[in-house]
Amino acid sequence: MPFADHLIIVPVLLPLVTGAFLLLFDERRHGFKAAVSLVSTVFLAAVATVLLSRANASEASTSVYLLGNWPAPFGIVLVLDRLAALMLVLAGVLALAALVFSMARWHRAGPHFHTLFQFLLMGVDGAFLTGDLFNLFVFFEILLAASYGLVLHGANPFRVRAGMHYIVVNLAASSLFLIGVALVYGVTGTLNMADLAVRIPAVPADRQALLEAGGALLGVAFLVKAGMWPLSFWLPSTYMAAAAPVAAIFAILSKVGVYIILRLSLLMFGADAGAMAGFGDKWLLAGGMATIAFGATGILASQAMGRLAGYSILVSSGTLLAAIGMADVAVTSGALYYLVSSTLTIAAFFLLIELVERARDPAATVLSVTMDAYGDEEEEREPEEEIGIAIPGTLATLGICFGVCGLLLAGLPPLSGFIGKFALIRALFDITPTDAGIPAMSWVFTALLLMGGFATLLAMMREGIRTFWTPLEVIVPRVRFIEIAPVAALLLLTAALSVAGGPAMRYMDATARALHAPDAYRHDVLSASARMGAMREADASGERP
Amino acid sequence: MFPPNSRNAEAWLAGVVMVGELVLVALCYPAVAAGHVIRSTTEWAPALGLAFKLRMDGFAWLFAVLISGIGFLVVLYARYYMAPADPIRRFYALLLAFMGAMLGIVISGNLILLVVFWELTSILSFLLVGYWHHNAGARDGARMALTVTGLGGLCLLAGVLLVGHIVGSYDLDTVLASGDRIRSSTLYVPLLVLILIGTLTKSAQFPFHFWLPEAMAAPTPVSAYLHSATMVKAGVFLMARLWPVLAGSPEWFWIVGVAGMASFVLGAFFAIFQQDIKGLLAYSTISHLGLITLLLSLGSPLGAVAAIFHMINHATFKASLFMAAGIIDHEAGTRDMRRLGGLFRFMPITATLAMVASAAMAGVPLLNGFLSKEMFIAEAIETHAISILDTAAPYAAVIGSAFAVAYSIRFIHGVFFGAVPADMPRQPHEPPFLMRLPILFLVAVCLVVGVIPGRTLGPFLHIATMAVLGPATPTYSLVVWHGFTLPLALSVLALALGAILYLALRRYLAYCEAGPPLLRRLKGQHIFERALVTLSWRWARFIESALGTRRLQPQLRLLVLIALVAAIWPFWASQSGSGTPMIPTAVDPAFAALWAIGCISALGAAWMAKFHRLAALILLGGAGLVTCITFVWLSAPDLALTQLLVEIVTSVLILLGLRWLPKRFPGKAAEIATAAAGLRRARDLGMAVLAGAGMTLAAYTVMTRPPPDGGISSFFLKNAYTGGGGNNVVNVILVDFRGFDTFGEITVLAIVALTVFALLRRFRPAPDSIEAPEQQRIQTSFDEARPERKPGDTVSEYLLVPSVIMQWLFPVIIVFAAYLFIRGHNLPGGGFVAGIVMAAAFILQYMAAGTRWVESHLKVLPVRWMGAGLLLAAGAGAGSWLFGYPFLTSHSRYVELPLIGKLHAASAIFFDLGVFALVMGATVLMLIALAHQSIRRLRAAKIASEAAEERA
Amino acid sequence: MELTLAIGIGVLVGSGVWLLLRPRTYQVIVGLSLIAYGVNLFIFSMGRLRVGAPPVLNGAADPAAYADPAPQALVLTAIVIGFATTALFLVVLLVSRGLTGSDHVDGKERR
Repeated sequence: MPFADHLIIVPVLLPLVTGAFLLLFDERRHGFKAAVSLVSTVFLAAVATVLLSRANASEASTSVYLLGNWPAPFGIVLVLDRLAALMLVLAGVLALAALVFSMARWHRAGPHFHTLFQFLLMGVDGAFLTGDLFNLFVFFEILLAASYGLVLHGANPFRVRAGMHYIVVNLAASSLFLIGVALVYGVTGTLNMADLAVRIPAVPADRQALLEAGGALLGVAFLVKAGMWPLSFWLPSTYMAAAAPVAAIFAILSKVGVYIILRLSLLMFGADAGAMAGFGDKWLLAGGMATIAFGATGILASQAMGRLAGYSILVSSGTLLAAIGMADVAVTSGALYYLVSSTLTIAAFFLLIELVERARDPAATVLSVTMDAYGDEEEEREPEEEIGIAIPGTLATLGICFGVCGLLLAGLPPLSGFIGKFALIRALFDITPTDAGIPAMSWVFTALLLMGGFATLLAMMREGIRTFWTPLEVIVPRVRFIEIAPVAALLLLTAALSVAGGPAMRYMDATARALHAPDAYRHDVLSASARMGAMREADASGERP
Repeated sequence: MFPPNSRNAEAWLAGVVMVGELVLVALCYPAVAAGHVIRSTTEWAPALGLAFKLRMDGFAWLFAVLISGIGFLVVLYARYYMAPADPIRRFYALLLAFMGAMLGIVISGNLILLVVFWELTSILSFLLVGYWHHNAGARDGARMALTVTGLGGLCLLAGVLLVGHIVGSYDLDTVLASGDRIRSSTLYVPLLVLILIGTLTKSAQFPFHFWLPEAMAAPTPVSAYLHSATMVKAGVFLMARLWPVLAGSPEWFWIVGVAGMASFVLGAFFAIFQQDIKGLLAYSTISHLGLITLLLSLGSPLGAVAAIFHMINHATFKASLFMAAGIIDHEAGTRDMRRLGGLFRFMPITATLAMVASAAMAGVPLLNGFLSKEMFIAEAIETHAISILDTAAPYAAVIGSAFAVAYSIRFIHGVFFGAVPADMPRQPHEPPFLMRLPILFLVAVCLVVGVIPGRTLGPFLHIATMAVLGPATPTYSLVVWHGFTLPLALSVLALALGAILYLALRRYLAYCEAGPPLLRRLKGQHIFERALVTLSWRWARFIESALGTRRLQPQLRLLVLIALVAAIWPFWASQSGSGTPMIPTAVDPAFAALWAIGCISALGAAWMAKFHRLAALILLGGAGLVTCITFVWLSAPDLALTQLLVEIVTSVLILLGLRWLPKRFPGKAAEIATAAAGLRRARDLGMAVLAGAGMTLAAYTVMTRPPPDGGISSFFLKNAYTGGGGNNVVNVILVDFRGFDTFGEITVLAIVALTVFALLRRFRPAPDSIEAPEQQRIQTSFDEARPERKPGDTVSEYLLVPSVIMQWLFPVIIVFAAYLFIRGHNLPGGGFVAGIVMAAAFILQYMAAGTRWVESHLKVLPVRWMGAGLLLAAGAGAGSWLFGYPFLTSHSRYVELPLIGKLHAASAIFFDLGVFALVMGATVLMLIALAHQSIRRLRAAKIASEAAEERA
Repeated sequence: MELTLAIGIGVLVGSGVWLLLRPRTYQVIVGLSLIAYGVNLFIFSMGRLRVGAPPVLNGAADPAAYADPAPQALVLTAIVIGFATTALFLVVLLVSRGLTGSDHVDGKERR
């Protein structure tokens, strides 16, 4: 097979090799390691883009990679379809931004930052690519282990405490994951996702409950990662505690959970799963909505920007989960667009927060908090000075970035945050044919979306005013170019995403359609096996003495 | 681009842009006047029905002229208004951006696009109002403005989406064409309400009026532009735009009518009692917009005409008044009417202009205000729908107009006439001519339109109304003199009433504080602020703390609970009978006994873990051993072997760690079980039991069902030898069939080892666990506990004999490890096991001879080992690429080795070698890192402190 | 036989869960290890029980003659990963103890 076909596995191997390679060198050589890591990450992003274009090439395009040349479902397969490719690119972009940012200072804060970072990428990409349930578990463990390491990177009491919670919760979730996989195997006797999709309809009635229990346990494990209320309390604290670049790359971790749920719920309990079709959708919908509500409340209630960002991750996850729960093609495609946009935004926001916090003077914080709490007792004011204050350049840049983040998070025009929400709500309304009534669920969901946006708007306004407008003497933070550049780049990406709304939505539509009609996926995966299998038999027999 | 405050340059640029706009718009006139509609469409997201479509008809054209024209005047005015020190760059940039957004609203031909521009105006107004952000007033005004209009915008979006859902398109032409469909839809009421919330908030209509007075903290040019001519007009603009689609229903009539009438009357009433000039103007704006809204609510074409007409008039005179107020503020240093007076003799020209403008505001004949007001009164008299609202309309009209007259007179008289108060901050004088010019121009417009309306504004108004009403455009006459009609009489009446009212209130007004007498305490702003703070801060915090937690135990409890529910739910949901179980294999008593031990030790561990950690650890080990034996019993030797080794290493690790945990004895003060604690325990116990029972049931059920036919395992058994080249199926699976899992698994190991290493470099022991005795005690007790693993840790440095033995053992173990490794592919063993054994060898060295000795004699570089191992594994996997096979494809053939004999070597063996290296490196790294602490404590502390510094 | 093993698994997991919900880090780590045992056995049991089946291929053609190898492989991976995470958690709890001075899971005593 030509080398081009090996491209699928590169997103997994490249970070691994880079990380391992970096281990061979003394850890004091920061500059060298950073350079290697950067080059490899750039290459990774490039490969991801190539894969994306390949996945987008034709209508039914699922390319399969048989590891060890063993036919599915017996060996492990990597599957690249539109969804996987999309997530790969997203991960690559975030990684690039976070890495560049970290080179300003963070990668010196502790040993082996770059190795851990690369391993994290390996885990994430593997989780996106693999088509095997247990292999998924392995990759989850890889990315979790790496994330443990990164959370504790540059350990201080706060981080250690948050990291401890993070680790314990996720360890417990991992055992749930194992139990779930075991049950699924015990009932169906296979681990390959496509094969599962084929066999599940044929599961005898007396074992469906077992299978569903397995699925449910898996779901719980993923929902912990995705941060569904009430399994998500660890998330804001952890993300807040983590170093800025780490938090930025973590923005993709919660999306890994969402991704798996999206994929598995449609593969295992999709339309043609017989009696078990649509299992768990209701729960996803309800849980997602609860998550949006809780996240929005948290956003309002949070004093520190870091916590605010953490809660906005919850809102984003909740939106996605609820959208998955609606189990409708158009809604899914809107959700995908929203996923990309919100992930980029939150990552940029996490990076930005650290820069902004440098400009914050504590007095102003306290003052304005009390002002918020007692906003109604400001009868007498200082005589108004009617000459404006010039804002220094750095602060202005930060302010602009902050404002853009606010628009994106709150889903206000004209940026992609708005388009995402617009697409979602539009799809929600159009679930029913024109002029028929609109289902209650759509109403509730829409209301939650808009209210969540409004809450974000309020909170961001408060934070922005508190940070940029209130301080009387202006503190100009020291910000290096390679720190602000990634933020700006990510935000520009969202802008591009909104300008290129047309093509983007076309891609998302194709993805969503493919997801909701998994026959092509199944067929591609399982048929790819036959062809390669023949080859392997031949050479095996040839070598037998 | 420009230095911070080079006023002229920016003023010129901005002015040029505005004029350019004006010219462009003017160029469109012929086409528009001919009744055409200019369209330009660029696809944006067709899948969403979102297109960047611009569409200019007469109505849009009129507004475009208004926006760019007044925009230019404001730019000119601001050039002189803003102080030289102001960072005017930002100001003009924002102003231009705002103008762009506003034009976007009026000429966008796609409803979503309109919403986009709509929200943009809200955001930009936030920035413009908060331009002087160092004033608390400006901050709050900006925040409130954005809060209210932003909320409105969201509602508008929802409403527009509903429209799109009904019509199937967001295109303005399509929507305008399908009015009946929308009005007849079941969703008409919700979408109407949503859209109206949007428009009413935007044009500050009751009950959303309160943000406008607050927004007066903005620089006066901003007020003159946003709050008279443009932004607040957006609401009424949209209402007029959608008038053919939405209007005419009773819902429309009631909602819009009530809002309009309330704003009209109350606004005017409040305006009388303001002391701040801009406050007065703000309330009067509310009132005038209320008038427009009321006209639109009537649903009669003539009403619409009057509304459009008044939009223009109001823009002209209100903008000029705001500018005048700005001048007064600038010159006299205050806007408080109690501290102003007699300005006429200082600034006669400005005063005259202001008087004319306010006369127009009051609706005095021969001015444009009069015409539209007369139209309004005429419309109010007409009966449209029999209802209280309709009958009330005329009275409301008269009263409102009277109020308007009153506050106009008050403004003029209070500011320009009467005695000069003693405490007027500055000695005023005429402003520069160019600063007056905008006012002059606008006032001229008022006059001209007022005198010869038909000839001047007539045609423009005509095309505008044609654009909105289309064929339904009524015939109307734009002349000053209709003869002695009832409307005329009522206008006169209103004038008289207003004058009387002012005379009556005059004394009181001169000294009272701002706000109407009775309703002074009840201000929308405060109610809103309170509500907002309560909702968005107090309640939010309360709910967050009520529904969330930051402690670990509740989270775990929830996790377990939800897992239980999730697992049990399906069994409840499905009533499927439990099939036919196989015959369970006979119970072997020994096995049962074994598990009795296992269970006891598990429970014991659970019981002991709190106070007797060591005992718990031993019991844990017991449970682990039972597991091993079970694996042996059930014909899984590989598992048993691995489990055993892992068991040992884990125990050693935990032992090394134990010494840093605090002492804990029963009956400590903190440990006294309260009732609540007891309850918690009971609950946890229940959950634990439930979880255990669930697992038991699940396991039993699965085990007693026949295995699913066609599972993947039979394939493994068939192909292990032929394809994988090994007899030990499990090992073949690990390194070949599912080698990728192993690949990942060793990566996990590597990551963890690195993390452990990194963490322990920063390790700082707690003060109370540094001193020796405890350590000694633990070790001695440990030694008693486990004779077979006597040399626990550093103590054994003093035991000579074992250390010697162990140094001899070193090569033996290495050989053993090699043996395990090689046979791995056919018999239990393999890279992982070998690696751990090898690591054990090193550890024994450490234990025996002590860290320093080992590191001086043989050089261990675990990190390098790990890196090399990973690379080796990856390389072995990628090797197959050369043969054109996918990653990890293994090839196998027999090789003759001396001594060992015929050996079946698969290329996977290199992979296994990598595994070996990595496992060894990782294990050694972890153990050493932990063992080091005892001698590296000081250094660790030092590093930690350094880290603290670098963080600080 | 099955029943015995099932009960064993249940007890392991049950006591593990109980410990997991305790406030002391050491209890939690012991609990996690117990759960790990239980889960490993559970996965293993998914392949149904075989007593005295030959562990390695010995020429017998019929796959039914052997124990199901797939779950065993899974268990092996699970064991290793469990070992790694346990070690990591151990160190984390030590460090947390060192930095916060308390061995409570929240890093501070509850009051």
